[in-house]
Amino acid sequence: MTLNRRSFVLLSLCASAQQLATGQQQGIASRGVKAQVKPAPSGRPFNAEFIDVAKQSGLHAPVIYGGIDQKKYIVEANGCGCAFIDYDNDGWMDIFLLSGTRLEGAPSEATNRLYKNNRDGTFTDVTEKAGLKAVGWANGVCVGDYNNDGFDDIFCTYFGQNRLYRNNGNGTFTDVTKEAGLVQSGPARWGAGCAFVDYDRDGHLDLFVSNYIRFSFENAPVPGEKSTCNWKGIPVNCGPRGLPTGRHVLYRNNGDGTFRDVSKQAGIDVAIESYGMTVVAADFDEDGWPDIFVACDSTPSLLFMNNHDGTFREEGVTRGVALSDDGMEQAGMGVGIGDYNLDGHLDLFKTHFIDDTSGFYRNDGKGNFDEVTRAAKVGVETRFTSWGAGIFDLDNDGYPDVLFVTGSVYPEVEKKLPQYPYKTRRVLFRNLGNGTLEELESQCGEGITTAHSSRGCAFGDFDNDGDIDVLIVNMNEPPSLLRNDQKVKQNWLKVKLEGVKSNRSAIGARVIAHYGGKSQAQALVSQSSYYSCNDPRLHFGLGAAMEVDLEIYWPSGLHENLRHIAGNRLVTIREGAGLVPNRGWSR
Amino acid sequence: MFQGLAYSGKKDMKSALASYQQALKVSPDYLPALEGAAQIQYESGSPDAIPLLEHVLKVRPTDVTSHAMLAVIHARNGDCATAVRHFSQAGSALESQPEALQGYGVCLLQLKQADEAVRVFQQLITSRPDDVRCRRALAVAQLAADKPLDALTTVRPLLEENADVSTMRLASAIYEANKDTPNAVKVLHDAIVKDPTQIGLYVDFAELAMDHQSFQAGVEMVDAGLKAQPNAPQLYMARGVLYVQLADYEKAEDDFEKAERLDPTLGMSAAAQGMLANEQNQNDPALALATVRGKLAKKPNDAFLLYLQGAILSKMGAEPGSPEFKQGLESTKRSVKLQPSLTAAHNLLAKYFLDGGENALAAQECRVVLQQSPTDQSALYHLVIALRKTENQAEIPDLLKRLAKARQVATKQEGERNRYKLVVASEP
Repeated sequence: MTLNRRSFVLLSLCASAQQLATGQQQGIASRGVKAQVKPAPSGRPFNAEFIDVAKQSGLHAPVIYGGIDQKKYIVEANGCGCAFIDYDNDGWMDIFLLSGTRLEGAPSEATNRLYKNNRDGTFTDVTEKAGLKAVGWANGVCVGDYNNDGFDDIFCTYFGQNRLYRNNGNGTFTDVTKEAGLVQSGPARWGAGCAFVDYDRDGHLDLFVSNYIRFSFENAPVPGEKSTCNWKGIPVNCGPRGLPTGRHVLYRNNGDGTFRDVSKQAGIDVAIESYGMTVVAADFDEDGWPDIFVACDSTPSLLFMNNHDGTFREEGVTRGVALSDDGMEQAGMGVGIGDYNLDGHLDLFKTHFIDDTSGFYRNDGKGNFDEVTRAAKVGVETRFTSWGAGIFDLDNDGYPDVLFVTGSVYPEVEKKLPQYPYKTRRVLFRNLGNGTLEELESQCGEGITTAHSSRGCAFGDFDNDGDIDVLIVNMNEPPSLLRNDQKVKQNWLKVKLEGVKSNRSAIGARVIAHYGGKSQAQALVSQSSYYSCNDPRLHFGLGAAMEVDLEIYWPSGLHENLRHIAGNRLVTIREGAGLVPNRGWSR
Repeated sequence: MFQGLAYSGKKDMKSALASYQQALKVSPDYLPALEGAAQIQYESGSPDAIPLLEHVLKVRPTDVTSHAMLAVIHARNGDCATAVRHFSQAGSALESQPEALQGYGVCLLQLKQADEAVRVFQQLITSRPDDVRCRRALAVAQLAADKPLDALTTVRPLLEENADVSTMRLASAIYEANKDTPNAVKVLHDAIVKDPTQIGLYVDFAELAMDHQSFQAGVEMVDAGLKAQPNAPQLYMARGVLYVQLADYEKAEDDFEKAERLDPTLGMSAAAQGMLANEQNQNDPALALATVRGKLAKKPNDAFLLYLQGAILSKMGAEPGSPEFKQGLESTKRSVKLQPSLTAAHNLLAKYFLDGGENALAAQECRVVLQQSPTDQSALYHLVIALRKTENQAEIPDLLKRLAKARQVATKQEGERNRYKLVVASEP
C-alpha cells in the first residue's frame, strides 16, 4: 500500500462508476451503467395501442411462481415462458402458459395451462381435456412438429425432468418424454431455454436445451448467507453467481419418435461456464445451416456456429454477441430476433438486469455482430430488469419495433427501497426508420404502462386482425393479453410456411420480404423472447406498400422466390409448391 | 601508469587520474589505465566514468566489476533497463555489494520483474538477515510477485517487535493481499494511533474503504485525518473521491476545490473536478462536457481532462465522421500522448478506432493497454474484435483464453470486494 498511495486517487479517477457499481450487484451481473440521454421526442404519432384484455378473454388463472412477498431461492425468481400455438390447426392462435409452484406445496391453481381460442376474442381453459395438467418448476417452452404429422408438439423445460408432449391431432396431448428417450438421469437439472432445430438438415426437428445452474434445495445458500445473496445491502435469493453452471444438451431426432444426446460429438458440451437461458436457433451467417444462440445470465452468451457436419464451434465472443461492447459479462435473459435496419440480415436484441442497457446487435450477414445499443438509441433505458423481448412491426409501418417486458426478481426489496419496485412497466421502442429507435413512455396504451412483474412473453395475432398482439406471463398474477388496436390501418402480410423436405413446421426457415423499397428478414424459430414461443406465422407490416416479393430459404436448402403477393392477408406457402390454400382461418 | 598507481597510493586522485589519462593517450586500450581512471571517476560520481567503463567492457566484455559499476551508475540515473542489463552480467561482483544488490532489486521491481526481484532480495537478506530495510524490500517484491503468503512470512518478524509505521503500512497491504481484511484494517489503525500525523495512512485507509465499497467508513477515517492534518490537500482529494462514490457531489466539489486551493500544483484536482462533472451530470452529458471544457481551458494539457472529454463525447454517441467524433478522437489521442500510462485513455482510443473502422490502430492501442495491464478485459475484448475485423485470426484463440481467465479473476475480485465491509467505530 505504501507504494500506491498516489495511485489511489489515480485509480479511483480512472475506475468508472460502472465498475464500482458492478461490485455492488451481487448475484447477478450488471454493469451499473447510466442510461443514454434520451433524444428529443420525434413527435410522430404511433399507430398501435395495447389494451390488456386478459380478463375479458377468460385468462383468469394466476401463473403461480414461488413466493409472493419473498423469494428464498432463485428457483422461485426467474419465472417461465408462454406460447402461441395453433394446436388444433383451426387457424387461430391458442395459448399455452407454463407455471411454477411454491416451496410449501402447490396451490390448486398451479399448473401449465392450454387455452383454446374461441375465435371471438375469448379463450377456454382446456388443460385437463388436453392432458396437459402438470405441476412443477416449469421454465421454457418450444413448439414444433417433431414427428412431422402436421400437428405442433410441445416441449417444456423444468427444474427437474423436462417434458415432451406429442400432439395427438385430436385436441389431446400425450407425455412421451420417456418413450422419446428424454428422461434425464442423475441429479435434477435446471432445464431453461429450449429450441427445436434441424441442425443436420435431415428433415427432423432436433432439440437443444440450455441448462441454467446446477441447483439443489439441500445445498443452496439462503438469502444473506454469501456475498452473492445480497442486493443493495438487502439479503435476497442467491445466484446465479456462486452457484455451479449448467451443461447444455443437444438431442438428435432419430426420425422414429426418439431422441439421443449428441452433445459430446456435436461439440456442445465444451461450453461449461455459462448460465444458459433463452435459446434462439437461426441461420445467422446465411450459409443455409442453423446456428444456435444462447442468452446467458452473468456469463458470456454463447453462439454455436454450425459446421455442416453435425458439429458446432462456439464463437460468441469473437462474433460480438457474448459480452458488452466493453467486454463485460451481462445478465442475458431474453432475446428478440429480427431485422431492425432492413438490411436483410437477422439482428439480435438481448435483455439484461437493472442498471444495464439491453444489448442490440447488428448482423453483417456473415454472423458477425456489432453492438449498436447506443447508436440505435436503445441505451436510454436501464431502469428495469428485463425479460421477454421481440423485434416486431407493432404499428405496421414497415419498420420493426422492439417491445420487452420487465420485473424485479427481488419482491422483498421494495419494502426497504421503494425506488426498486417489484412490478414495473413494459417498454416499447418504436423504429424511426433511420437506424434509431425511440422509447415511448405514453401513447401506446395502458397495456404498456401498467406495472407487473413479468417474465416470458409471446408475440402473435390471436384475433387475426392483421397486427401483433402480446401474451405476457406475470408472476403470481393472471397473464396479460395485450390486444393491439391500430389507430390507422396500414398494410401487412402474414406468411405461414409448410415444410415438405424440410421439417413440417419449417422451423429454421429464413424469409426476406421486399416491399416498398425495403427488405426485411425474419426467421421462423421455436423459441425466442424469454423462454417463449411466438406465433409461427411470420408477420410483415408493409406501411403503404400493397404487395410483397418473398424470398424463402427453406431449412432443406431450397431457395424460392415468390413475387407480387398481395398484402393484408395470410398466405400459406408449401415448400416447393408455392402458395396453397390456408388451413382454417383465411382472409 | 605506474605514476598513476603511485598517486593513487598517496590518495592524490587528481594526479592519479591525470597519469592514467596520459597513459591512455599513448595506449587507449591499456586495461590497467582504463580501470584505474574508471575507478576514480566512479568513486567521485563523475559521468565520465561511463565511457571509461564501457571502454573496459569493449576490451574485456566479461569484466564483472565494470558491469557492476555501470549498473549502479545507471540505476542511480534512473535508467533501470540499462542497469538491469549490466547487473545481470555483474555476477560475483555483486555478492559483496549490498547497496548494488538493493539497486538491482529496486530496478527489477520498477521493470515489473518481480520474481527476479524476489530472488535478488533473498540473496541480499541472506547476507543481512537483521536489516529491516532489506526484509521490507523482500516483502514488497514478494507482494509484487503475487506471493502474499511469502510476503507475510517475511514481514512477520518485524511486526513482533516495535514495528515502525512504514512496516505497518506494508503489513496492512500484505494482510489485505492475503484476504485478511480485519488484520489489514487493524494494523493500519494501529499505525494511525502510533502516528496520527501521517497523511498517507489515512489515504491508505481510504483506499481500503474504496476496495470494499465502504465509502462512508473511508470518509469517517479521512475526517479523523483532517482533524490531525487540517491542511493536507491529499486528504481532501481522497475524501472527494469517496464522496463521488456516495453521490454526494456538493461535498466532493468542496473537497476538490479545497485541495486545489491548498496545493495548486497537486495536479489531480482539475481532473478530479472533471470526473465529478462527468459523474454528477450523467443525465446531462452536455453539462458535463461544458464543465470539463471549462477546466480544459485553464489546463489545456491535462491528460485526464482530455480523456474525460473524449469519454463524454463517446458516451454521447458521437457518430464516426461527425465533428464530435473527430474532436473526441483527437482529444483522446492527445491524452495518451501526454500521459502514455493512462490505460483508460488507450482503451477509449481503441474504441474510437474500432468505431471508426481503424481496426489495425485499435489493435495497436489494445496492445499498449495489455502491456501495462495484461488482464484488462476491455482491451482483450476489443483486440479480439479488431483482429477478427482485420482477418487476423491466429492470435484470437489465445486471447479468448486470456479473456476468460481475466473474467474469472474479475468475478473473484468482485466477491473479494464484497466479502468485508469497513465500519469506523471511533476516532483513533
